[in-house]
This record gives sequence, C-alpha cells and structure tokens, in this order.
Amino acid sequence: MSDAVLDRLAVRFAELLPAGAVITDPVRLRTYECDGLTLHRAMPGIVVLPETAEQVAAVVRLCGEYDVPFVARGSGTGLSGGALPRTDGVLIVTSRMRRILEIDMPNRRAVVEPGVTNLAITEAVREQGYYYAPDPSSQQVCSIGGNVAENAGGAHCLKYGFTVNHILGLEIVTPDGEIVELSALDPGYDLLGAFVGSEGTLGIATKITVRLSRAPEAVTTLLAAFGSIEGGGAAVSAIIAAGIVPAAIEMMDALAVEAAEAAVGCAYPEGAGAVLIVELDGPRAEVEHQFTAVERICRETGAFEIRVAASTEERAAIWKGRKSAFAAVGRISPAYIVQDGVVPRTALPEVLAGIDRLQEEYGIRVANVFHAGDGNLHPLVLFDDAAPGEGERAATVSGRILDLCIEHGGSITGEHGVGVDKSRYMPKMFTEEDLDTMQLVRCAFDPRSLSNPGKVFPTPRLCGEVPGVRKGVHPLVESGRAEQF
Amino acid sequence: MDPELIKDCVHCGFCLPTCPTYVLWGEEMDSPRGRIHLMAQHVEGTPVTPEMAGHFDACLGCMACVTACPSGVRYDRLIEQTRAVVEREHVRAPGERAIRELVFTLFPYRRRLRALRLPMRLATRLRPFLERVHPSLGAMAELVPPPARPVRLPPRVHAVGRRRATVGMLVGCVQSQFFPQVNAATARVLALEGCDVVIPPRQGCCGALSLHSGRDARRFATRTIETFERAGVEAVVVNVAGCGSSMKEYAEVLKDEPGGWAERAAALRVRDLAEYLVELGPVAPRHPLPVIVAYHDACHLAHAQGVRSQPRELLRAIPGLELREIAESAVCCGSAGTYNLFQPGPARDLGDRKARHVLATRADVLVSANPGCSMQIAAAMRRSGEGGMRVAHTAEVLDASLRGLGARALGGR
Amino acid sequence: MNGATGPGAALAAAGVTIRPAGPDDAVAGVTPRWVAFPETTREIAAVMRVSAAHDLAVVVAGAGTTLHWGRPPERCDMLIDTCRLNEILEHEAGDLVVRVQAGVPVETLAEALAAKRQELALDPPLEGGTVGGLLAAGLAGPRALRYGTARDLLIGITVVLADGTIAKAGGKVVKNVAGYDLGKLFTGSYGTLGVIADATFRLHPLPTARAWVVWPGAAPDEVLAVVPAVTASQAEPSAVELDRPAPDGPCAVAVLVEGAAAAERAQAVRDLLGEKARVADEPPRWWGRLPEPGHPGPGPSSEPGGRPGEGGVLVEIRTVPSRLPGLFAGALARTDAAVRGSLASAVLRVALPAETDPAAAAALVSALRAELADAGRVVVLSAPEPVARRVDTWGHVGGLALMRRIKDRFDPDRRMSPGRFVGGI
Repeated sequence: MSDAVLDRLAVRFAELLPAGAVITDPVRLRTYECDGLTLHRAMPGIVVLPETAEQVAAVVRLCGEYDVPFVARGSGTGLSGGALPRTDGVLIVTSRMRRILEIDMPNRRAVVEPGVTNLAITEAVREQGYYYAPDPSSQQVCSIGGNVAENAGGAHCLKYGFTVNHILGLEIVTPDGEIVELSALDPGYDLLGAFVGSEGTLGIATKITVRLSRAPEAVTTLLAAFGSIEGGGAAVSAIIAAGIVPAAIEMMDALAVEAAEAAVGCAYPEGAGAVLIVELDGPRAEVEHQFTAVERICRETGAFEIRVAASTEERAAIWKGRKSAFAAVGRISPAYIVQDGVVPRTALPEVLAGIDRLQEEYGIRVANVFHAGDGNLHPLVLFDDAAPGEGERAATVSGRILDLCIEHGGSITGEHGVGVDKSRYMPKMFTEEDLDTMQLVRCAFDPRSLSNPGKVFPTPRLCGEVPGVRKGVHPLVESGRAEQF
Repeated sequence: MDPELIKDCVHCGFCLPTCPTYVLWGEEMDSPRGRIHLMAQHVEGTPVTPEMAGHFDACLGCMACVTACPSGVRYDRLIEQTRAVVEREHVRAPGERAIRELVFTLFPYRRRLRALRLPMRLATRLRPFLERVHPSLGAMAELVPPPARPVRLPPRVHAVGRRRATVGMLVGCVQSQFFPQVNAATARVLALEGCDVVIPPRQGCCGALSLHSGRDARRFATRTIETFERAGVEAVVVNVAGCGSSMKEYAEVLKDEPGGWAERAAALRVRDLAEYLVELGPVAPRHPLPVIVAYHDACHLAHAQGVRSQPRELLRAIPGLELREIAESAVCCGSAGTYNLFQPGPARDLGDRKARHVLATRADVLVSANPGCSMQIAAAMRRSGEGGMRVAHTAEVLDASLRGLGARALGGR
Repeated sequence: MNGATGPGAALAAAGVTIRPAGPDDAVAGVTPRWVAFPETTREIAAVMRVSAAHDLAVVVAGAGTTLHWGRPPERCDMLIDTCRLNEILEHEAGDLVVRVQAGVPVETLAEALAAKRQELALDPPLEGGTVGGLLAAGLAGPRALRYGTARDLLIGITVVLADGTIAKAGGKVVKNVAGYDLGKLFTGSYGTLGVIADATFRLHPLPTARAWVVWPGAAPDEVLAVVPAVTASQAEPSAVELDRPAPDGPCAVAVLVEGAAAAERAQAVRDLLGEKARVADEPPRWWGRLPEPGHPGPGPSSEPGGRPGEGGVLVEIRTVPSRLPGLFAGALARTDAAVRGSLASAVLRVALPAETDPAAAAALVSALRAELADAGRVVVLSAPEPVARRVDTWGHVGGLALMRRIKDRFDPDRRMSPGRFVGGI
C-alpha cells in the first residue's frame, strides 16, 4: 500500500471523525505497534479512535473503497498478537467507545460499547448483587470488545463458561461496512456464536449485550500446598471424580510460586512443589458441603498445608499471587514466553512430565501456571534475551509444548487466541479441509480479506477459490496484491 | 531514562485503567504503557518531539500506575528522569515558560506565598480577566480557598499526659498558608496521642514541587534534612501527601551528592501522619463524631507512599463516623502538585469527574490528606453547582473527635 | 440417472447401504428417491460426493422426531438416515467429555453416561430423538437456564459438506479457541449446511440430589409476580417452568433445584412461592415436554403411533422475562393454545390443536409478534400446510443477508435441505 493512499485516507477520515481521532504522527503511531504480545510489532499506517458505530462503519467503508486492510484493537492486552497492526492498514481503536448504554436488571442484561472494560460491567451492577461472569486475568483493563473477539475465558470459566456463553446480542460492523444486529433470540444460523472468538476477522463489534449473573451467596477459596505437581494433579482428578465442579481450580508450580512471591509477596506456603487454589461458590449449603469434600480430598492426596480464606481480603490475598503470575515472572527472568495450550485433564500428568523433559533437553526453565480444572496450561518459558541462542531455544520449547498438547488431543490455545502468533500451528491441529471449511465462513463475511488479514489462518486462501480445486492463478496473486502458498 | 527500567515493562496494560489521562482520552500515548514506549523510542534515538513532550507533560505523576503494575516497573523514577530530559532538550513556548517560572518562584517559598494572599483574594474577582490572559492564571484564581485565619504555631508543643515520642512536623508551603488550621489540628492530635511536637520555625520547602517537575530539588532536600536533624526528633511527621512522598525519596535524590547525604536522608524517619498514628497506636479517647465521611486517596499518599489502609483505619475507629468509598478511588483528582496550573484543561476534566464521584457518595464531609486535592475537588464541586461538601483533612476529623467538638467543627465548603 | 451409471450404482460401488424410498420416508410431504444408511463419516462423504455428482438434494434424518419442523424441503432426492451412525466413540469420564456419532439416541447416551454418574445436561422436549437431530434442530429444555443450550455444551464437531468434504472444528477439550466455531453454525441449522457426523460434548456430573417445587392451580399473574424473586434467589434454581394447559384454567409452575443441599434450597424456593407450593422428589408429568393442546388434565404425553404436536401448530416464543406478563395478559390470554416453557429463560412453546382454524392460528402468530416487537421472536416450529401458507414461519431474522452468504459458500448448489430454513435458505 503506497503512502499516498494512506495520506488520502487520513484526510477522508479527518472529515468523518472528531478532532484528534486520527493519528498519523509516527512517534504516536509507534505506541500502537504491538498489543500484549511484544514479540510481533508493526507500526500501523493510520490509527483512528472512533466514538460511535456509525464512525466505525464509515471508517470500514472507506477502507473498502481504498482497498486498505484494517485491524480492530481494544485495550491492547491480547497475548496472541490478534491486534497486531498492518503497516499498510488502519488500526481502529475502540478505547473511546466505553459507555455502558443500558443496565436492564429485570432481564439480567447490560448493553455496553466495546471499549468498556470487563470489570467495569461488574462494578456497575455489583451493588445490585450481580456480576459479569467471564473473568480473564486482565479483567480490570481488557475491553469487552476484545473479549468478544477472542472469546475470552478466565479462571472461573470452568463452571461458568466463556465469553460466548454470556453474550446475548451484538451490533457488528461487517467487513463491508454494514451495521448488523445479531441477537441470541434470532432464529437462523448462530452468527453470534460464530462471531465471538473470530479474532476480528469477521468484523468489529460495536455494541454488546451481556448476560449478568447473580453473585453467588457464598464463596470459599481454599489454598492447598503439595510436595509435588503430581500430588496437586491427583487432588484435581479426585475432586472432579467426586462430581464437584468448582468455580475454579488453579495450579502453580514451585517456580511460578517463586515469581509471584518476588512480585507481590503472596506468602504461599514455603517448600511447596505445587500450590492448588480451589474456589467453590453457589448456595451456602452447597458450598459448605463441597468444601468439606474438597478439603478431605486435598488431605488424602497429600496436601501438607491448607489455608481457607475467611474474608474478601484473604480471598484476594490468595488470588493475588495467581492473578499476577504472568507479569510476575519478569522478576525472576529477563524475558519469557507465555504459552497457552490445552490438554484433556486426564493427560495432564503425562504432558507435565513431557514439559519437564523439554526443560532438561534444552536447558530452559519453564514455570507452570494453569487452570487445572479444564486442562488449560500456561507454561511460562523463561530465557535471557541477552544470552546468545537462548531466545531461539525458548521458542523451540514453547512450540514443542504445543506439539505435546496436540499429540494428547488438546488445543493450541484455550483462551489467548491464535492471532498472528499461532497461525502456523493451525495446520498441526486441523486438516487442510478443516481450515478450508472455516475459510468459507471468512469468505461469507469478508470476501476481500480486509478485516484483520493474516490472523488465525496460516495461508489464507482467496475467496474466489474453491477449496480443494485450484483453478489457475488468482488475479490478485498475479497483480502482487496477495500471496498464494 | 534508564533502559533497564524501561525493559521491565512487559506491555500488559494493567496500568491503563488507573491512568487519569487514559481515562480521559483513551489514547495509548497518554497511558503509562504508551509513555514508556515513547521513552523507549527516545532511548533508541528519536529526539524529543513536541508531540512526545506533550504526552510527558500530560502525565500527572500520580503514580497510580506504579500501584497497578504487576511487574514492578518504576514509572515514578522513569517519569522523573524523563521530565529532566524534557526540561533539558525541549524548548517550550514563551507563554508556557513564563507560567512555569512564576509557579516555581512562588510556591516553594512561604513568605512569597503569604505576600500573595491578598492579591489572590482579589484574583478571585479578576478571574475572567486572568482566564483570558492565560488559562493557568484562571485556574490558579479558581483554586484559591477562602482566606483562613492565620495560626501561629509554637516551636514546640508538649505531649498531653505521658510522653511517648518526640516528633518533628513539616508545615508545608501551601498547607501553612491556605490551611493553617490543619497544621494546628495535626499538632494537637499528635500531642493528645502523647507526642512532643517540634515545629522548626525556619523550615523551608521540602522540594516536592521541583522534584515532581524534573527540576533540581537537592538544595531543598539538604536544607530540610539539616533542619530536622537539628530538631533532635525520632520521626518527621508530614501531613501533606506530596511533601511526604518527596521526603521519602531524599535518599534517591541525593544518592550522588558528596557529604554522606544519602545516608543522612535514609536516617531521617519520615512518616505520613496517618501512617505514624497507626504505628504509634491510639491512647487518647475518641469521642463520637456522627458524620458520613468520603475518604479521598491522595495519589502521593496512596500510590507514592502506599498509605491506604491507615487513614481508613483511623477514621473507622471514630465512634459514630460512617466511612464511604469513592468510585474510581485510584484515579487522580487532577490536582497533582502543579498539574492543575500547567494543564488546566485536563485537570479541570479530572476534577469534574472526581467531584461527580465524591458527590455521589452523599457524604457530609470529604476527607483528604493533601491540600492540593482538597482545593481541586472543592473547586470542582463548586463548579458542579450541585452544592458543595465540607472538606477536611484527616487530622481535623481526628482532632474534632479527640477534643469532642462534634461534627459541626469540621471544615468549610 | 437410474441406470448402471446412476447414483444408486455409484453408492453401491461405494459400499454404502441404500434402498429406494417409500411414502413412509416422506419429509414433510416430500418423498425422496433413496434412503442411505451410512455407518461411518467416510460413508457419509461417499453419499455426498455421489449426490453432488448427480445434483441430488439431500435431507438428513435421525429418529425423525422433528423432521416435520421447519418448512418442507423444496426437493429431496436422498434421505440420509443416521441410525447406523450409532456409536459412542469416546467417553473419558475423567475429562467430562463424550464424543458420539450423530445417530446415537439421546436416551442411549444418557444411560451410558449415567453409568459413570454423568450427564449431557440438555433436556430435549421429545423422546426418542438422536444426538444429531437434537443439534440440527437446536433443541433445549428447562435446564437451559443453568447449563445453556446445545450450542453451549457442544465443544467439537465433524461435518460432511455438500461436496463430500469432511471437516472438523473444535476438539475434545472444553477450553479451546482455535479456529472458527463451526459447531455453533451447524447447531440449529436444520441440515442446510451439511451433515453432522459426530459431536463432542461437555458433560456434567449427575447432581447428587434433585428436588422440584411444584405449585399447581395457580393463576398466571400470581406466578409471574413471584418468578423474578425465584430466579434471582440464592437457592440457584436450575429451571423455572410453567404449564398452562388452557387460557381459562389454572396453570402450574415447577422449579427445579439440583445439587448438594437440594432439599434445603427447595424449601427456600417454596417459601418464596407460597403455601400452595409443595416440594417433590419427582417432576410433574408435563415437565420438559412440548405443550399438549386439548389435554387440560393429566394424560399421556404422546399419542401412540403419532408424534406429539404432529399435525398441530407448534410455536416457539423467545423473549425476555419482563415481557412475559404482557404476553400472558395479552395475546396468550385470547387463545385456546396450550403453553409450556421456561419463565426464567423466557422461552415458551405454544401449541394449537390440529383442528384449529388456519386463520386463527395465523392471527395468533401475528398478535404475538406485534406484542413483542423487537423484544422477542416468534417462530413457527411446525404447522400444517394451510397454516404454514398464511404465516411467516421464521419471522424477523437479524443478519439474514450474512446467513445467505454463508449458505452460498457451504452449499452453492442449494442441495442441502433446500428451502427448509430462514429466508428460504
């Protein structure tokens, strides 16, 4: 894309948007060069900060007119590079669309703009005894629009599900600039379900209706320290086998505990090979009943110390170490990679043993933090970026962990998304036919591939092509506008 | 700008929602994460452009991001280093320069401020005119509280009952001129809790204003250290959040200063009033004070000094007092030292936002431990037209309870 | 086409069991030419490739419980009967996940899961259906309040497209955001995008205890006045259901509480409902079933040989709880329809007897739509042709243009259940 096109586009944008909503100064543009994943960087061609759906739609239509790709960004906290800008494109930032438009308590729903933070919704209804259930660790900053794009999870999705289970309606701007309303009430294809988690490749959500959940009557948080990861794992299996679905089961290994200790002084039990956090919530009578069972199970599986949070403050203290674990690793290692893979819960011991072997083989340390209840691993691969070759070795270990996940029937991402970072692993998890079929959905929404191109899919086919049947060279490929693999 | 400190930032964005300018504008460049990115650009060779300087200047230095950061990024250090670079490398517009000179030659000097009190009263009436000359002058005029009766404090106030400690007290430049009654209350509360209070009459500015603006604060620091060393006290109690935070930084400020200054600074036990009273433990009986209080976290107390629980604990311990939390308590009110003078626009927006949240608590009294915040929020509440709220310092509330004065003794609007 | 080179021969060569269709195989009155019985995903693909080569329109049937729902297909040459796709492929109890072929009957699956004290927490309102049918029709029952609907519990799917392409999405782990969620698109798609070959579900442990609080003989306005408090109560009900057999008679409400301390929590719900409510160990007879018009009192849930509701008009209302009082006082009060459904999720099903005057049935649908406007949707699930001719079966559909584009991509030749779905898809 030539600079001249972007220059003309910037002028057109300035006519549409409020003053100060179009950024073209390179120093400013560069601050948008990456999201929460700094590994991939690209300075956006133009940044726009629209305030309404109409402005978003107008920007998208203009992008279409000039054949310029666009990428949506919320708070920029994603960990898969889903909001990585295009140097030849426009970055549409929703951080100024942050009004809570409606709170409808009788129907337990709220309508919000995409830039509203996840936690802000809960804060708006907390006094009435409600909350918004999905709780990614970055909930105080991540935007609900980003949550929709990535189908964000969180520690409590074990019991309550993911973003997609809590979205009741969307207003979206489609890749051709139409504003379309989607409702969970609508008959027809579940476009809502297809859109959530599509990582910005099917359009931009401009208004979001979320379900509000009743805050549970009782919450009990228990921290159990085990000598080893195996002990903790056995406890998790036994809890599930006992027919208990806790709100959350989180595990941290010794190295992760060390980091959290260094960062926030969480004072977890000393000498723990693994720390398990189990949170139970629901009706008081049920929670009490389940708590007795969980405590017994932890003791039987070898917990050497069990702590129970008796107050909100103590609960927060238990969670503090876990919630800050990612960033905390910065205290014990100059650099690190946050991985996000999933395995069937029963495969956890084997996969963790596999990760141990990788550590030895490559001389790279891995701290393990995971949502043990649903087998979602977050290995933190530590390395020194100043040491020659260590970065490459860490990247290899990180990739091989994903291989382990796939081998055991799991997934390459449980909640961070594929983004730009993991698109190359998609062919390991899916066949060419699988990916071609997904591409049909993409082509239905965005035949010109202008909406967040280059994300999720490794080798995006052009929509004119029939999957499986290649018919000569596509005119776009011929003209150099697209690459064919 | 220390590249090592910059590297600590992992770009997680946890700082965004607590940053006042991000809250206002929703732009990456006006968030801590974005500013650190700009610092990195400078370190990599990009000169300080006017745009870049503008984003640094827009930072209030509230340090809410330091509290929010899970990676322990020392944004406080980074922004101070950055401001020094901006002062050195960036040429400001003439009008802006003049206002900055005016503030830096006035505020750190008690006598100059005192001389200004009468003209300032006039200024209230002249505000529309001043506003036209320069928005900063208008902001200054709007902030001025109603004239307070001067209070002369003795050099030493003796402990009531058994003496438990001897402490020094910093009176503060703005505090002593505009809120002398707060200093009187502080001295009384300390005395009632069993402290001999030493108030060196010739104490000067602690240097906070300069330090937080990227100017040289070393002279102010060494003078203050000397003053309190001579006073022979166990601790220096400070009732101004901004002063307390800068005094706690003396060792860092003077680390390259010959003459063992860093060690002498470290030896000075500087404590915020609330922090000190909780450490000391209460002895004086609390009388009932039936009043609803909204407590405002001054940034330089909550974020810079980490003092959040202590003032609440002291307030809650007063019989009959109901404490209410203010929404977005971590977000700055826009006062931020000299910020409301240099950046009157955003400061005003933040003040309005804070005033809305404060008024929403429907409390009787707003309690804050920083004169800048008190002036800023009071002015914003006056502007809102929704009726004001009495404003008091933690010390005044404690004083009223300890002396059994009743709720009506508290603060003005 | 019927000669040695026709589809029959091609299918026989592919080794797929096939027989000529008879009148009993009709899909909403349209009789296909063949019925195929694939046993594996590959065999489905073979059927689809042959169908593609010969431009055959394809309809998929499980047990046929909802085959009369939706609009009749414009054409139907090949009926794929999934009854031989009846294997439970994987059930790793420790993972609370099951993978099943589409033709497995829901009851068979439930029995297998119950042996491990687990369940698929969906309550289809019709007995005898298959997993594939449940998905294709997007069925859900009372406990959707707590567990969501089929789309919320489906975590992986294998489908065969119109051209025979075998594709899967999702996987066998609950937490997974890799790639587009094709399972959601196929759920409730009435067979118009392709054939569902197998599906993987998230399971739940069977609750340790269940208790129902039943309040028979109530008036709808009395019930609706207390329901919000019940839904919001800390007893955490899994379902709040209503049965209104006729407009002038009494209705009944039943609330399900599941899990530890169910009895205690049920008592709390009873206290909210009032003295006439009773705690019971068993659900009321009508629980989780489709409404039965003309059955004001207790009676059999289905007529022998027939399918419940078949021949009559069955309408689904989806709205928000705050609109229910208006509906019951308005359009629903002025009809002799039977109503059942969830008061908490605000999904009601309304049934009219087969003999209902088509104009009256059409008028009811219009009245319901007028009353709800944007706040709800009214879908005619099944209706005899004279009624179907007079009503817009699907009503308002947001995003219809996008849906058509999806259909065009998946089935460009319109051979998958053509015409059965929204907007004539």
